[in-house]
Amino acid sequence: MPKAKVFGLSAVTAAAMMALAMPAFAQVKELHVMDAGGQWGDAVAKCIDEPLLKEKGIKVVTETPGGYAKMAAQAKSGVINNVATDGSTSELARMAAEGLLEEIDWGAINPMPMFDEAKNKYGFGSSYYSTIMAWRKGVPAPSNWVEFFDTEKFPGKRALPDYPDYVLPFAAMADGMTPDEITKGIDLDRAFKTLKRVKKDTIWWQAGAQPPQLLKDNEAQYAISWSGRVVGQDGVETSFNQGMLDMSWFMIAKGASEDQKKMLYQWFHEQTIPEKQACVAQYISYPGPSPELEKLLPKDKLNQFPTYSENKKVQWLINGDWWFKNAAEIEKRWNEFKLEQ
Amino acid sequence: MSAPATLSRHQPPWLAALGCLTLLFMCLPVLIVVPMSFSSAQSLEFPPPGLSLRWYAAFFGNEIWAQAGVNSLLLATLASSIALVLGTLAAYGLVRGTFPGKALIEANFMAPMIVPSIITAVALFIVFARLRILGTFFGLVLGHTILVIPYVVLIMQVAIRAFDIRIEHVAATLGASRMVILRKIVVPNLLPSAAAAWIFAFVISFDEVVVTLFLAGTNMTIPKRMFNELIMQINPTITAVATLLIGFNVLALALILLLARGRHLQRSLA
Amino acid sequence: MTTVIHAGEINLARHEWRWEGIGFLAPLFLFALIVFDMPLLIVVFWSFSDPAAGFPSLGSYQAFIESGSYARIIWRTFLIAGEVTIATALLGYPLAYWISRLEQRSQLIAIGIVTMTFWVSILVRTYAWIVMLGNGGILNRWLLSLGLVSRPVEFLYNERGVAIGMINVLLPFLVLPLYAAMRRIDPRLLHVAETLGASRLQIFWRVFFPLTAPALGASMVLVFILSLGFYITPAILGGGRVPLIANMMDLLINKFARWEMAAVNSVVLLTATLAFYALYQRLRGKAT
Repeated sequence: MPKAKVFGLSAVTAAAMMALAMPAFAQVKELHVMDAGGQWGDAVAKCIDEPLLKEKGIKVVTETPGGYAKMAAQAKSGVINNVATDGSTSELARMAAEGLLEEIDWGAINPMPMFDEAKNKYGFGSSYYSTIMAWRKGVPAPSNWVEFFDTEKFPGKRALPDYPDYVLPFAAMADGMTPDEITKGIDLDRAFKTLKRVKKDTIWWQAGAQPPQLLKDNEAQYAISWSGRVVGQDGVETSFNQGMLDMSWFMIAKGASEDQKKMLYQWFHEQTIPEKQACVAQYISYPGPSPELEKLLPKDKLNQFPTYSENKKVQWLINGDWWFKNAAEIEKRWNEFKLEQ
Repeated sequence: MSAPATLSRHQPPWLAALGCLTLLFMCLPVLIVVPMSFSSAQSLEFPPPGLSLRWYAAFFGNEIWAQAGVNSLLLATLASSIALVLGTLAAYGLVRGTFPGKALIEANFMAPMIVPSIITAVALFIVFARLRILGTFFGLVLGHTILVIPYVVLIMQVAIRAFDIRIEHVAATLGASRMVILRKIVVPNLLPSAAAAWIFAFVISFDEVVVTLFLAGTNMTIPKRMFNELIMQINPTITAVATLLIGFNVLALALILLLARGRHLQRSLA
Repeated sequence: MTTVIHAGEINLARHEWRWEGIGFLAPLFLFALIVFDMPLLIVVFWSFSDPAAGFPSLGSYQAFIESGSYARIIWRTFLIAGEVTIATALLGYPLAYWISRLEQRSQLIAIGIVTMTFWVSILVRTYAWIVMLGNGGILNRWLLSLGLVSRPVEFLYNERGVAIGMINVLLPFLVLPLYAAMRRIDPRLLHVAETLGASRLQIFWRVFFPLTAPALGASMVLVFILSLGFYITPAILGGGRVPLIANMMDLLINKFARWEMAAVNSVVLLTATLAFYALYQRLRGKAT
């Protein structure tokens, strides 16, 4: 029957086209990770990913940014698209608490010498970085977090990170908590009080490249930013005072496939090579955790590094335990706060 | 059908001014983006300080943009083609057939155009996640196909309606079978409209953002990358991409109009 | 070909077409059922679920009503949609009227320009506004140089910028149908009014405008419906500070992983859209 032929033909064509779509794009030898991108991502791409592709045929495909929310959303959807993300000590603690991570097989990574503090059950320590205050050249300079969040004496918009881990400690300090107290635990009420107070002057950023851009474009006059993005930039002033010194960790999503993990461990191994860390440090001032690194760093730029002694002594370090214990509460209150925008 | 002489000659000047300004307002984005794509400046500046093709070089030399371009082209081709097949058949059935419930079925086909794409995105996200095809290219193709089908059905319905049914009747009386009628009469006459519908669907799929953001996973498409870059890092390469998109869309529009004009000629001849 | 045979053939043909029609619809019908209808139905089911209580439960709807945040965002969306619709009508009606009164060639060019802007991708159009509206952008530089303001006016990352971007995108949706409707108005009606001694103003307000009112109404409803579902423009020009319903749904799915609430918001938005769409069809019926 002619009718059947028409359907048959069209059904076969449509099915053939759909079939074409399916296997042709099975990802081969591609490692999918999420990271902070921008200058850091570019540096890693040049210093680590390119050689990895040449030597081992592994292509690293990154999505920016990563973080807790994306890992949680991924886990809920059941489809693990990205096998790893980077994040702070607090994010590592929160994700581990929520069961989102897999343990790291350090034997499989077989790293070159690393500081012990960079080896965690659930985290691969990748680089040191700081979260500090920055402001546009020409506006009154804040000397601490109370002043940073004082929108009356220091008028202007604030570019704040859209992540609880990077903003709550500073917001709490603005309400009077000291760095010592912060490392023991953050009073969430006081932190949110500050954030609500400055709500109408806040611009939220998600990618590390945004705060310096916002400052340069005069969309924001003050910003909380990751140090490597703003230190030494034209038109931008920074201070490490009361800044948060931390380690950037890579974490593995629970349910990641064995193939992806194998490639991931190889990528991790490359990151532990001191020469590669020095290469990255050329582009952005985030030193890796290799004991051999110090001698390879450019001497004239040392004061930009968060681990530089002058900078290190005015900063404080995160306490992962508090974040681990309070993970659920933090997430709940942060979501409520964001919904009130 | 022009207005009476008295009315058309006397346009109050303020109306002309308002009209021109509004028109200018509508064109502003294009007027800004195109020159900026040729800017030699490092960051976003207008007017551009000097001329350069660096951003086009940045686009064509960048592997991620290239991959995104390939994905977008392939995705649009597949979605448009599947939509054309399914949609043309359906349009034929809608125009030629009469049976109860036809209006409802037609409304169902048009629905993806009316329902805000964010809802379609959320619905497909949830279902695809459960079916484990979230983030696959196949899922993307499905999503894009359902989005462009209303346009194909609409255009093909007009084309089929314009095609005089009596020609089919005559052929039937002369002994031609259904299949022959379709192959030798209907399809050749519908070809220009089918091409126009395909191009229309292609452009819509190529420009699609919202559903793609939810369903694409790690697959990169041009609009998805543009959106990500806009939200995060304002990189002037985007101006080059934007200008290329404008050129691409204008070209497609010209093609469609060309095909449509041919159709009118055919109609008046038949 | 006598009339009798012709009629007979048509009768036969019509009986034959009836079932053919259904056959041709089947492939798309199945496709739409699986890829569109079922997912929407599943969203409705999810809206009646609760993370704690499972299905069925009104828990999510309850949380939706009790939490002030959703209501606030929906209200803001409707408000902005309303403002944008009115602004678009105020700009678009004069434009359409002016174009319809131009001479033939200019008309074609003008409508060509409108159609072309309509055809340009929304991403491109939204992007340009970042350059225009920023604190160091073109508009502010111009205002400052003219001395109209002493500090840059904030157009970006607030409702103002979002509204401007939305109006820019939506104008063609109003202008094109309105223009078509204006051209369909019988010029003889206007001519008669003129002969009867009416002034130009009277002719416009008492004859022309009422004739175009249904088309204007229908276009405004269309613009309103489209505004409700906007995602890209508020995301880019609002900088996260102007979340509309669609952005809220994005947060719920991609950040907070609360699918039930996303489903509830979807149902609310869908209901509103369908209700206004029914209104749109009524007005369009009256316009033609």
